[in-house]
Amino acid sequence: MRPRAGALALVSALLAGGSCVRGDRVVVGAKNFTESDLLAEIAAQQIARRTRLPVERRLHLGGTFVCQAAITSGQIDAYVEYTGTAYTAILKHPAIADPDSVAHAVRDEYRRRFALEWLPSFGFDNTFAIIVRRADATREHLRTISDLARVAPRWNAAFGFEFLERPDGFAGLARLYGLRFAAPPNAMDLGLTYRALAQGRADVIAGNSTDGTIEALGLVVLADDRHYFPPYEAAPVVRADLLRRHPEVRAALEELGGKISDAEMRRLNALVDVEHRDLAVVAREWLASNVP
Amino acid sequence: MRLLEFYARNAREALGLAGEHLVLVGVSTIVAIALGVPLGVLLTRRPGWRRAVLGLVNVVQTIPSLALFGFLIPLPLLGGIGARTAIVALVLYALLPVVRNTYAGIAAVEPAIREAGRGMGMTDGELLRMVELPLAAGVILAGIRIATVVGVGVATIAAAVGAGGLGVYIFRGVATVDNTLILAGALPAALMALTADAALGALERRLGPRGR
Repeated sequence: MRPRAGALALVSALLAGGSCVRGDRVVVGAKNFTESDLLAEIAAQQIARRTRLPVERRLHLGGTFVCQAAITSGQIDAYVEYTGTAYTAILKHPAIADPDSVAHAVRDEYRRRFALEWLPSFGFDNTFAIIVRRADATREHLRTISDLARVAPRWNAAFGFEFLERPDGFAGLARLYGLRFAAPPNAMDLGLTYRALAQGRADVIAGNSTDGTIEALGLVVLADDRHYFPPYEAAPVVRADLLRRHPEVRAALEELGGKISDAEMRRLNALVDVEHRDLAVVAREWLASNVP
Repeated sequence: MRLLEFYARNAREALGLAGEHLVLVGVSTIVAIALGVPLGVLLTRRPGWRRAVLGLVNVVQTIPSLALFGFLIPLPLLGGIGARTAIVALVLYALLPVVRNTYAGIAAVEPAIREAGRGMGMTDGELLRMVELPLAAGVILAGIRIATVVGVGVATIAAAVGAGGLGVYIFRGVATVDNTLILAGALPAALMALTADAALGALERRLGPRGR
């Protein structure tokens, strides 16, 4: 009896699976920071409620390179990537500032080289952000980085090591805007720069524009009025074979396109990072009120 | 090979960072000795304080360095960005082995020897200077040796508060996924730790209790 039952199950599984290699499930991955986890959770819940597919989560994986290796080898089917990161870190192109050409290049090359599809972006740009204290910005009438150049010689800056080293980091920014500070910028841990700024130990730092702690600490982002920083628009990257087997996944994720502004992403990050709300609950509530 | 090329091109910077590293470790170890040895002696005179003080230096040891820096940055005199904050953190980390070994070394002096000293009419200060500290020197030095070797390693995180040192290469390397840079900071730090360990070990053997 037993062998026959096993054979039956195998046959029915083959029939049901069709061309499907690994069974009917979608594995959603994320990089190792709050925003990536949160967007992956939103995508996972959206797929789960719009399709009948079981969804697995592999959140908080290493960094960009781990996610790239995982998705090209089929360990995960989808994760959220940033156009600028894909363009410079994965495709190894020198950084450029035009959002449309970056998005186009990334879409074409991913399809050709990795059989991966970029779906519509969430609508925000998580780029580098030059950040100052709100009180200083008000007093000195600072809105843009060009305004900052005026007061910079009296101020001190503290930057993370990555920002000081990257080709699209400090050196080029200082050249374009003519920024000169009272002393060479302090090199320190990125997380500690926020604290140093909030405590008045530094006057200017470089963070991420959608960071949830910016508003909580009474800080503001200065506008990149001369468009120095490359675009980092977040969008789901999905394996093409999954989208072929299950077009409903594409339809589900396309519904999320353009739904999250910079300010909205900052607010969502703050719910998790500052108010310590549960990630899955934040994702569920956001979906319920924004993608009915 | 890439590492040698790197040093050849950045010799001046590398030497500068190594120098900063030595200053961070040297200053913090000296301060830790200046605070830790008297504190250890005090504990042998006030046994009631022992649990609280050793417990405190133990707890400090368990605070992750980035968290400790986070607490220190806002402080008016000890904190801020730069070498001072890093040295305060390094001193706090170095205190445990120095305090503990000073206490243990003196507590291990045989009561009979101490009684003999008292019998000869020594005051408490004389007993400490002429009997207890010389006999405990080997154990105290072993504590200083641990503090120094650990300090060389811990000082690499000084780069996180803008205090420089060899950690600058390590942090830069991690931020840009560059193994050569990471090694450029980690290898000389390891050499420094081994050298300090060997030198203090030799000194320890010379100062150690004779005739044992």
